[in-house]
Amino acid sequence: MSGSGMTGGPVFQLSEYLISKKSFLQWTDSLMEGFTIIGPAWDGRQTVFREVGSSAELTLNYVTTMLAPGKLHIYRPKEKLFRFSLSGRQEIGELPAFNGKQIIVGVHPCDTNAILYLDRTFLGEFKDPFYEARRNNTIIISLNCTDVAPDCFCRSMGTGPFLNADSGFDMLLTDFGDDFLVEVKTERVNRLFNVSGARRAGNEEFALKAAKEKSALLKFTKTIDIAGLDSLLRDNPEHPVWGQTSDERCLSCSNCVMVCPTCFCYDVVDEISMDMKTAVRHRQLDACQDRKFAEVHGGNFRARRAARLRQFVTHKLDHTRQYGVFGTVGCGRCITWCPTGIDLTEIAKEIQRTKR
Amino acid sequence: MKKPRLGFFKYSCCAGCEFQTFYFQKHLMETLSSFEIVFARMISSGGTPEGPFDIALVEGAITEAWQADELKKIRKRSAVLFAIGACAVNGGIPAIKANRPEIEVEENVYGDLSAIHSIRPHPVDAYVPVDGHIRGCPPGERDLYEALTSALFRKKPDFLRQSVCIECKLKGNVCVLVTFRMPCMGPVTNAGCGALCPSYNRACYSCFGAMKQANAPALARRFRTLGMSGDDIARKFTMFDADSIEFRKAAELYED
Repeated sequence: MSGSGMTGGPVFQLSEYLISKKSFLQWTDSLMEGFTIIGPAWDGRQTVFREVGSSAELTLNYVTTMLAPGKLHIYRPKEKLFRFSLSGRQEIGELPAFNGKQIIVGVHPCDTNAILYLDRTFLGEFKDPFYEARRNNTIIISLNCTDVAPDCFCRSMGTGPFLNADSGFDMLLTDFGDDFLVEVKTERVNRLFNVSGARRAGNEEFALKAAKEKSALLKFTKTIDIAGLDSLLRDNPEHPVWGQTSDERCLSCSNCVMVCPTCFCYDVVDEISMDMKTAVRHRQLDACQDRKFAEVHGGNFRARRAARLRQFVTHKLDHTRQYGVFGTVGCGRCITWCPTGIDLTEIAKEIQRTKR
Repeated sequence: MKKPRLGFFKYSCCAGCEFQTFYFQKHLMETLSSFEIVFARMISSGGTPEGPFDIALVEGAITEAWQADELKKIRKRSAVLFAIGACAVNGGIPAIKANRPEIEVEENVYGDLSAIHSIRPHPVDAYVPVDGHIRGCPPGERDLYEALTSALFRKKPDFLRQSVCIECKLKGNVCVLVTFRMPCMGPVTNAGCGALCPSYNRACYSCFGAMKQANAPALARRFRTLGMSGDDIARKFTMFDADSIEFRKAAELYED
């Protein structure tokens, strides 16, 4: 197995194949005995990343989902941490970390990069055991994008539409019409991948892949110029765009944070029974647009709505100091799901136009 | 350990919060066995309102002067006091008249006003300090549980203060405002219901009231772009929380 990109493991010699989509889905079906298969599937109202009972449910031609697979199935929106009791002798009951095995199929490049971003948070200096267990037991099969949604701007961020990360995922698919170009990236998935009818891909296929990437790159309508963004946002904390946008449009509803695939903040909450005999501590997603988020004894760091909006946008566009990469992967979800359509690329452009 | 003494008081409302607390909620058995119910008209005609109480729950809006007088006495006799339900927390349904002159409302309803003593409707915390708000119509299970357990454990209650959208997204609901262009009040409404209506494809109508500091005018303007009439928008923001500063600002944009 190769490293996750964080730990750096032995690099596995790549192998590439061309197989029919039908054979591919038969292969994922064959894995259901040992793995939970998660992928894009229709839930009656939208495409969501969920467990499927059969590969026939997978809608791998989806364009985008509201919630990202990494924040649903690796970093969970709500997770039980441990149990404890308050009455009598105090005891702490550890809860086992995830020990199942799962495969997430069809993860787009932006969402794959978002998982690599979450790795920086949860597998950095301090390792989060719950995240680590789930991450290690999850095989990620990424899928290059041939369609582009109106709010996508991964092209500008260098995170899509085709995946160019070296490691941290197990397999990469490219849609070739009736076939998938399959690039095996780790030994653990190589061991699983024995498919009859798969033929080795060569120069011809990679020329076609390059052509497909080129044509996908032409489909983008939303762009952002990231040159110098870091210092620009840092130097303009009181730019009128913050106050104006927060007065006219921002609702502090936190939809942007909730749908963001890289927003990792969580709150820790206890649920205690009335007889005080059982208590469960869990963590759940928190949101910096919430007034309570930056509240401390005696005050609030970000009592103003404008300060909270700025917090979100700068964490996406001006935090390369944190992990050396931008906080946004350009998926555009915060734009799509904002009830008033606030667009962080427009905010950046406004500051670029009228900077100090 | 002696059970905490609980009193439940009702002003202008439907008494649904009291029924919710003593008949319907999920933690009913623990509630009944953990507290000494000293005064609660909907479960017993006995008891005394004189107190003292370890915890007082007050439902209903204050719409007559005697209610305010009594409420102040109850506050003095109670260690902690929570406003429970939309009427006590926000003015609720009784407060739909909050934006009109009292005399105009009274004349609309009654021929002879000589026996009518109603005043402008206000939530409970307009008259006495409260230890927290158990929002909703009916009150949300989560915050009700939080209030009761905080009284038991003598801790500061931690009520939800975020928007309904956070609960909606945690459930993975598709956004009814963005996707179906429904005039959903979720973005400016305080959480606690578990995004009940949007989970069933319905727009939130804010029975939990305004989230503090909510930018209601921005949402009202968004509703206008959905094609809603000014009257309909004003009604959205005066149905459950007409008395709040946040919703007042939105309603004023479109009221005559």
